[in-house]
Amino acid sequence: MTNAVTNVVAELIPHFEGYVYPNEATQQPLWSILIVLYPYITGLVAGAFIMASLVRVFNVKALEPVYRLSMLTAFAFLLCAPLPLLFHLGHPERCFEVMMTPHLTSPMAIFGFVYAWYLMAVLLLELWFDYRRDFVEWSEVTPGFRGTLYRLFTVGVTDVSDPALKLDFKIGHILSVVGIPSAFLLHGYVGFIFGSVKANPWWGNALMPIIFIMSAMVSGIALCVFNYMVLSWVRRKALDMKCLDVMCMFLFYALVVDAAIEGLDWIHRIYSAEEGFQVIQYMAREKLFYTLSLGQVTLGTLVPLLLLGSLQLLRRRVPDLIRRRMYFASGALILLGVLAMRWNVVIGGQTFSKSLRGVMTYKMEFAGLEGWYMGAALLLLPFIILTVFVKIFLSEKLPSTAPLEPHPAHAR
Amino acid sequence: MSRLFRMPPQVFRIFLLALGIVVVYSIARYFLTPDSFGEYGWYRGEALAELAKREPVYAGKAACAECHSDEYQALVKHEHKTLSCESCHGTGQAHADNPDVKMEMLNYGHCVRCHQASPSRPKWLKQIASKAHYAGSKCTECHVPHSPTEVP
Repeated sequence: MTNAVTNVVAELIPHFEGYVYPNEATQQPLWSILIVLYPYITGLVAGAFIMASLVRVFNVKALEPVYRLSMLTAFAFLLCAPLPLLFHLGHPERCFEVMMTPHLTSPMAIFGFVYAWYLMAVLLLELWFDYRRDFVEWSEVTPGFRGTLYRLFTVGVTDVSDPALKLDFKIGHILSVVGIPSAFLLHGYVGFIFGSVKANPWWGNALMPIIFIMSAMVSGIALCVFNYMVLSWVRRKALDMKCLDVMCMFLFYALVVDAAIEGLDWIHRIYSAEEGFQVIQYMAREKLFYTLSLGQVTLGTLVPLLLLGSLQLLRRRVPDLIRRRMYFASGALILLGVLAMRWNVVIGGQTFSKSLRGVMTYKMEFAGLEGWYMGAALLLLPFIILTVFVKIFLSEKLPSTAPLEPHPAHAR
Repeated sequence: MSRLFRMPPQVFRIFLLALGIVVVYSIARYFLTPDSFGEYGWYRGEALAELAKREPVYAGKAACAECHSDEYQALVKHEHKTLSCESCHGTGQAHADNPDVKMEMLNYGHCVRCHQASPSRPKWLKQIASKAHYAGSKCTECHVPHSPTEVP
């Protein structure tokens, strides 16, 4: 029965058009929606971290209200970053082996090193040194399980004297400085996985890591805007408009650079028009029209550029309410646009024939391991984890030190 | 040792914690790395033996011919002689071991796997556009798969 039904469905859609090798005519792409989500989630981590480091390293005071939220966002999403890969492998009982046997002979196996470095050496350490003082104070005033949890997080160090806090701040600063190249490494590495496939004209491109890093920054800042606005709305708290303005200013400039680099990539492809160009042109016009022209370029880039750009010029004349709505719309559109960009890269690179004279069709599963449900669940999971983190680490009931309160001697 | 203890307490604790993680990881790595990992390359060497041990599901043409000699004789005289029985009829080891187990007869979608028109196929291979070529009827109403040049 199932066989009969699936065969009917399979026959309804044309599998391929043009000149396609026989083995390509029947196969589905090897890398499906889960591999679309992998660079997307990793990019959000890198972007949110870079957003947080604007406060630490570049001393942008206006962004302090979102420093901890962005760090926690990066943490929650980083925990979920390897999940799409592990699910895609289809052997959850062996999932730890990728962590047990990292090595340098394949780009995918380097992941163990990159991930461990970024999670353990950068993100967790920076969060800990930032929160240490709060953990000590919270563990004293919170009873029950929560108090025990905070006591556990202090690792038994209760020294919150001035010199100790000064040292915390200094170490946090150093970690943040180390963290920026690490975030670039993490996401540049993801771009490298695609860019190093030289047989594929859609991927094989030295600009790929840079495009990935820039779009990661854009999507990460957009996610922080989105999270900050949603969190304030849930908590019925007034938004710090100055913080939001500055955040969206950085979002705008990151988007300008991102759009410029991606535009440069396209200009280069169009002008040099190498042998694979015809099929790339066909993909952009027909196969990927909705996700590329509409999703990535129009809704994900041009509309936010227009919205954010006009606000850069007319910020003072636009009332707060309308400005907030425009910011929210831009953030949400950019998040969708970058997801569309990942889709275009991953799925686009696999739906044209190696003959460069024909295209295949990707039909996404609905409820399967690589289907809609799975994709939605994987996108929702980091938000659920983030909610738990926000409840524990950004609790409204607990007195929090102003995020990043450097020792007076250190303040600039 | 006394100099080590003069480290700031938070740095010392984190250092200890990191050391603990490295030790736990090393122990975990010792026990959790598959035994045969790295024997031939960066994968479990045992995987090769495990794959080789899997029960075959295809019986092969000779096994079919033992009982179905009429069909076999018809097949080898015509164009489809190079095809394996199981390409169209599905896997047959279970049926060969025990004739009571029925074969899963696959549907007619299998004809167009080779005969659907495509510029990438050689010219001598008979090709049709399945939507235009008597759409809706079964291939076997007009064609005999075992002896394609005959008319039913």
